[in-house]
Amino acid sequence: MINDFIHPAVFYLLGGLLIPLLRGKVKQGYMLLLVVAAFLAVVIMPQGTYGVYEFLNWKLTFGNVDKLSKVFAYIFTIMGVIGVIYSLHVQNDGEHLAAFYYVGGSLGVTFAGDFLTLFLFWEIMAFSSVFLVWYRKIPASVASGFRYLLWHVAGGLILLAGIILYYSISGDLTIRHLPFHGWWPGDIEGMALFLILLGFIFNAGVPPFGAWLPDAYPAATVTGAVFMSAYTTKTAVYALIRVCAGSEILIILGVVMAIYGVVYAVLENDARRLLAYHIISQVGYMVAGVGLGTQMAINGVTAHAFCHILYKSLLFMGISSVLYVTGTAKLTELGGLYKTMPRTMIYTIIGGLSISAFPLFSGFVSKSMTVTAFGEEHLMWAFIALMLASAGTFLHTGLKVPYFIWFGKDRGIKAQEPPRNMEIAMIIGSIFCIGLGIFYQPLYALLPYPVHFAPYTAYHTWETLQILLFTQLGFFLLLKKLWCENTISLDTDWFPRKGAKGLMWFSNKPLANTETNFIGEVYEFIIQKPIMKVAQLMQTIDTVIVDGTVHNLGRFTIAWSRMILLFQSGQIHHYAMFMTAGVVALIVMIVRLF
Amino acid sequence: MKLVNMIETLRTKTVKKIAYGILVLLVMVDFIIPRHEVHFFGDKIPGFWSLFGFSACVVIIIVSKWLGKNGLMKDEDYYD
Repeated sequence: MINDFIHPAVFYLLGGLLIPLLRGKVKQGYMLLLVVAAFLAVVIMPQGTYGVYEFLNWKLTFGNVDKLSKVFAYIFTIMGVIGVIYSLHVQNDGEHLAAFYYVGGSLGVTFAGDFLTLFLFWEIMAFSSVFLVWYRKIPASVASGFRYLLWHVAGGLILLAGIILYYSISGDLTIRHLPFHGWWPGDIEGMALFLILLGFIFNAGVPPFGAWLPDAYPAATVTGAVFMSAYTTKTAVYALIRVCAGSEILIILGVVMAIYGVVYAVLENDARRLLAYHIISQVGYMVAGVGLGTQMAINGVTAHAFCHILYKSLLFMGISSVLYVTGTAKLTELGGLYKTMPRTMIYTIIGGLSISAFPLFSGFVSKSMTVTAFGEEHLMWAFIALMLASAGTFLHTGLKVPYFIWFGKDRGIKAQEPPRNMEIAMIIGSIFCIGLGIFYQPLYALLPYPVHFAPYTAYHTWETLQILLFTQLGFFLLLKKLWCENTISLDTDWFPRKGAKGLMWFSNKPLANTETNFIGEVYEFIIQKPIMKVAQLMQTIDTVIVDGTVHNLGRFTIAWSRMILLFQSGQIHHYAMFMTAGVVALIVMIVRLF
Repeated sequence: MKLVNMIETLRTKTVKKIAYGILVLLVMVDFIIPRHEVHFFGDKIPGFWSLFGFSACVVIIIVSKWLGKNGLMKDEDYYD
């Protein structure tokens, strides 16, 4: 039985280490082999608990397999295959390794049975994915990467604080269902659960802690952004389902998120940042669903995470292909590409229709389940708000992005379809997006609870079609208002950005001034001047007493020598005379004595 | 390039007229469609979701643009 469990992260974390040693086709084949093997490891995996190790006083569990962890592992390893195919042409081994460690980290989190293991892989994810930003190798991405790390280290430390606090209360590190109820922690245990929830929602991109997402993803490499769009937020959603399902605060946060992403997407000019804001919007549905916490909501969230990874990565692959070919993803610089990149356009539109939950596309079978869960619980404000966000999603991702890149104003950009491997990855993504929209039963069978939901009822299909097609009417009527401007939008990354600038200013101006002016003065008066006085005193002592003594000794010696010189005339009869006089004097003295 | 031609066919006036026809049809069919999942009053009104979709689109664009013009949108070199 134990032999059937092979942790799929092993292929990514250990297998990945050999990538830099291989070259050319062998390397490409090896990478494909690894990711397919990881997927198969999930397929054959039986449910149960595996990989339990004693470490110091703690029990670390690396292989906690149940329906929930398995469905997330399925989508993470499927996405691994798609992402690796998309990035096969990349020459930089570092980028491959970063992606492999990133995916491996998310699989580690998925199967973690205790908080310590979860935290370990959580940090592996943050520190490997930042390289997907840095390898873009432009100054903006270097700065963006550092801000990304700043957010994730902050979130990670909050999570760790929660874990330690929880451990100090319960003496147990096992991951279990620990919902946080209320709006603010009332006691110490509430504080622990609150901190854990806060650590998770940092990674889920919940505002105001989600500004790293639209900051870093558009700054990442062409292929890096495709990976990043799939893993960090959805791993956080998984963790939230497992630990925080039913925490009411998440309903509010999730609904706010869903609308917030849509509002920013209207203003956004960079297509990849626009998609990033729609990740926030879509993850909002999931966070809200986790907060609701009913079986139907959790099923919906899980299905939505599954579909979301596929259509969002497809969208990112499409736009990243445009970036790869034309060198820009700004809507103000693009237009008229349908003549040169029509196939990429079709893949992107398939992604756009899926994210908009168009009938027969994957988003329809998952988003509608999540939204209906709110209807069933009669939370009408949330239901309406999420419907509103659906219209906004179609407006931007389904209409605005394709329109301004492939139609709009023809700017005569020279372009062609992207390399073959990128296109194959987009075809696979497209097949999944349409396939899941039609054959949704296999996905429903993987969900953690039994599904009592049929997506294609006449009314529900009709309701969705009405919303989406009338949104389209609104889009074309208001098209003039939607032309983008070359701007950026203020988000909560204002605080770290301006904060860092403020810190630099503070260091350069007040701090440096205080240092030179105040502390310098104080130093001069309190330390420097007295020291000088003491030194002068010492000098006086030295010159007057010590040197004086030596000098006077010297002078005395010289005087004495001069006197001696009088006797040392060098003439023998003078010496004889002195000696005779001396002997006479001696005799006289001896005689006088006696 | 067959694909390009197909895309260009979709941009003609006739297709536009068909699209408007579909919108009218959508609202008309909504009068007769069976309603099993009534969550709130809007589900009982024919054409409610058509109106909702259109107003949602307009509200999102206008409110977002208003927020953008009143402080959120900055020049690209704002942080430099």
